[in-house]
Amino acid sequence: MKINFIDKSLIPIWEKIQNSERLSFEDGIKLFQTNDLISLGKMANWYSFTKSGDSVYFVLNRKIEHTNICVLSCKFCDFAKKKGEPGAYEMTTEEILSKLSDEIQEVHITGAMPPDWNWERYIDIVKSIHSKFPKIDIKAYTAVEIDFFHKKFKIPVENILLELKDAGLKTLPGGGAEIFSERVRRLLFNQKIGEKRWLEIHKIAHRLGIPSNATMLYGHIETVEERVSHLVKLRKAQDESGGFLSFIPLAFQPGETGIKPKEDFTSAIDDLKTIAVSRLMLDNIPHIKAYWVMLTEEVAAVALNFGADDIDGTVGEEHIAHDAGAISPMKLAKEQIIRIIKEAGKVAVERDVFYNPIKIYGNKIIGKIPYLNSIPIYHNLKIEGYKTVTLFPSQLGKMIANGDISAGLISLVDYFKNKDKLKISKWCVSSRNKVQSVILFSKFSWENLHKKRIGISEETSTSVLLLKILLLKKYNVKADFEIFNPSLKNYSEYDAILLIGDNALRELYNPKKDFSYTYDLSEEWYSWQGLPFVFAVWVEKQNFTDEIIVDDIIIKQNIDKNLSNIGNIISYYKSTISLSDDKLIEYIKGFKYEINEEENLAINKFQNLLEEINVCLKV
Amino acid sequence: MLESIINKINSSERINFDEALYLLRRTDILDLGELGNIIRFRKNPDPHVTFVVDTNPNYTNVCTIDCIFCAFYRHPGEEGEYTLSIDELIQKFKESANKGVTTILLQGGVNPNLPLDYYLELVYRTRNEVPEIHPHFFSVSEIVGMAEVSKLPIEEVLQRLWDAGLRTIPGGGAEILSDRIKKKISHKKETSEQWLNVMRVAHRIGFKTTATMMYGHLETDEDIILHLESLRKLQDETQGFTAFIPWSFKPGNTPLEKIIPHYASSTRYLQIIALSRIYLDNFPHVQASWFSEGKKIGQIALHFGADDFGGTLLEENVHAAANYVSKSNTDEVISLIKKAGFIPVQRTTLYEILKIYN
Repeated sequence: MKINFIDKSLIPIWEKIQNSERLSFEDGIKLFQTNDLISLGKMANWYSFTKSGDSVYFVLNRKIEHTNICVLSCKFCDFAKKKGEPGAYEMTTEEILSKLSDEIQEVHITGAMPPDWNWERYIDIVKSIHSKFPKIDIKAYTAVEIDFFHKKFKIPVENILLELKDAGLKTLPGGGAEIFSERVRRLLFNQKIGEKRWLEIHKIAHRLGIPSNATMLYGHIETVEERVSHLVKLRKAQDESGGFLSFIPLAFQPGETGIKPKEDFTSAIDDLKTIAVSRLMLDNIPHIKAYWVMLTEEVAAVALNFGADDIDGTVGEEHIAHDAGAISPMKLAKEQIIRIIKEAGKVAVERDVFYNPIKIYGNKIIGKIPYLNSIPIYHNLKIEGYKTVTLFPSQLGKMIANGDISAGLISLVDYFKNKDKLKISKWCVSSRNKVQSVILFSKFSWENLHKKRIGISEETSTSVLLLKILLLKKYNVKADFEIFNPSLKNYSEYDAILLIGDNALRELYNPKKDFSYTYDLSEEWYSWQGLPFVFAVWVEKQNFTDEIIVDDIIIKQNIDKNLSNIGNIISYYKSTISLSDDKLIEYIKGFKYEINEEENLAINKFQNLLEEINVCLKV
Repeated sequence: MLESIINKINSSERINFDEALYLLRRTDILDLGELGNIIRFRKNPDPHVTFVVDTNPNYTNVCTIDCIFCAFYRHPGEEGEYTLSIDELIQKFKESANKGVTTILLQGGVNPNLPLDYYLELVYRTRNEVPEIHPHFFSVSEIVGMAEVSKLPIEEVLQRLWDAGLRTIPGGGAEILSDRIKKKISHKKETSEQWLNVMRVAHRIGFKTTATMMYGHLETDEDIILHLESLRKLQDETQGFTAFIPWSFKPGNTPLEKIIPHYASSTRYLQIIALSRIYLDNFPHVQASWFSEGKKIGQIALHFGADDFGGTLLEENVHAAANYVSKSNTDEVISLIKKAGFIPVQRTTLYEILKIYN
């Protein structure tokens, strides 16, 4: 993409971004200081596209603040009250349940820290919601509250989190991070936990299989350096524990608080820069949220082109921001959110708490798998009038079944399941012998995997069934499967793990002390069947007009062009895979993209084997 | 298509209707903003953003035009109607002048009970009794109303206003220059051709005016571009427009609210700002209407091709009647422009520089 930079000093940063090089602290400062807003936005928007495509996520959610009675007195908060003060309130579990309904997908529970609640009351909130509304995803209690529970009830943080998880908690909210600066903490919130404890609690949660969000409160007394430093510290933590789903910059609302920043509200330019710089600096956090309640609906809408790929949700009741005078309406209806996203030129994707898609709103959608091995097909594939939604194979399969995808590369098994709705083309992603990106890392050899616990990457659709076939038919072994989120990196919990795509490729070249065996499933298939393995096929949704969305010849030309130019385009996509370009090029060149006789045989063979092991191929 | 448009813009060629449609419908908002910026800095190379210290009182809310997008007007005799006397207005102007106001943007309803002399005397006395103030009075609809009441031709009415001392006219009332739409939303108002013609005659006499556009109601993309086309054509002929000011329809309390319940999105506003900056290559300025779109979106618009922040609007009643209130003052306007990354420059109604806030 070409950017017409007004501020030429951004050009070296743009080159780094395009080469998948990590930005430095100094780059972050420079990005904040530029006045070339459009160029900054274009860089962030481009980078966001490489991660999410045109998707903008939203969720049907409800925010619950169970009490405003607080033992702390933070200067920037005008929500908290002391017990007995006018306006102080505490909600019973019944009151909380009465605010929920089956339409809600996600509940966000945070509150103040009252002096006299017992631990059971907090657990009971989660348990009761989970039992009355099992479909609602529960996101509850910030790290500040978790630390408060730990101190007050003398329970180790691990146990607190495990008890909450057992009660039905899915994720932790990202609040309470404020700004990672001891200077600011001492001045504004010296009774609150600092960065060290906040990060520690989130890392523990990630290790225990609880993903979380992260926030930054900006626009008060913090410096630009402190903002960039906050982002760098989060990025480092994410490298270690991997469980942050999204980052949410929160514009400070002065209202009646004791803090008087220079301006009543942050400037729109500052809001957009903060979103854009966050997107560019946090190369390892999947999503950036433009939280409309704080930003205003209008600025959040613009932020969708400045690097944000999430706009939060319908929210329902929002006390904290509104007590401080935020000017957004109390409730944005779902239709309004969809309309804003569409007018921003993006695709509205309704999600759950883990960012799994529930529904895509739009009718001209190309589905895209975010793996390196599919770039020969997707790079520069522009189809007039169509938008791109980037999803993992398992998610894409669900959306194909919904009828929400017009065309795209989908996992072979999802093609089997939806054959009646789809037209298959002659393009695929297949490998012969080694593939390097569908790998079983194991503590045991094949023969000894019987009754062992195998963690299956939640991203897979076809590879998991290939593994099942290999175990049952080739090695006569029956193991237990458990789906897990590979970003959390809690691999050693399992006897073996199945990783696919870029995660697998990355880990293949990382030394593994926990797993002595590394099995390449394509190699295993080849040595057994003497056939290539087809992982994904290009399909189009059947329609009444028989119109073809992407012509065969267009894909062919694109593949040929991209493969002959692979040395130049690989750098855009290598992201955090620390392999040499030569290795990556060799990896890509190992794939075949056209379905010929052998691939057809392989497809049929695989389907027959699936039937033999009684895998249901009907949705 | 985009590449050929970019080439045209780089070689200072005009874009045509189809290209404008492509920019509005098919172009990423940031690509559009980038192109808007190229023209903005070609026309106004300094990182200056101008503003005028003004106020926007209304001398009457009596009106017989019945526009269904308006929540401000009252019929003659209806409860809540008012018309200020010339003495009251002069008093108001003096108070404003004491607060540092340099321009009064004065508009009203179209009140059939007011004789032409009311308007002429108001202009004359303002120039003589409050010389610090530049009168920026009367939209096209009111001028057409004056011609009807006085039974004089438009030329004559405008000439008499000129002779009384009026030099600029605000560009309101254009809405969308499409008679198909005007028939639906303001069927008693002047037609598009009449609006353009009043402006043409005014420019010939020597008046400078602005031009506006109100979008986000029943218009199509094509209507918007035809609106810009009409303005560009007239500007080629007269060179009388100083600035273009688009704003979005505010549905609150208006009869049109039933059909169009929500505001057009901020993305749409930024598209319109950038597109109009590109299309209206013969307009010196494009104004970011912080007042109608909110301060934050006003700031962003300065990066999408707008180079003017409008007025400080110490008093405003029309949007307020639609429950849309956005208050500002000179200090805040200066601060908003600075925070957006530009140098604030106070100007007159005729865009002469008064003070640079470095």
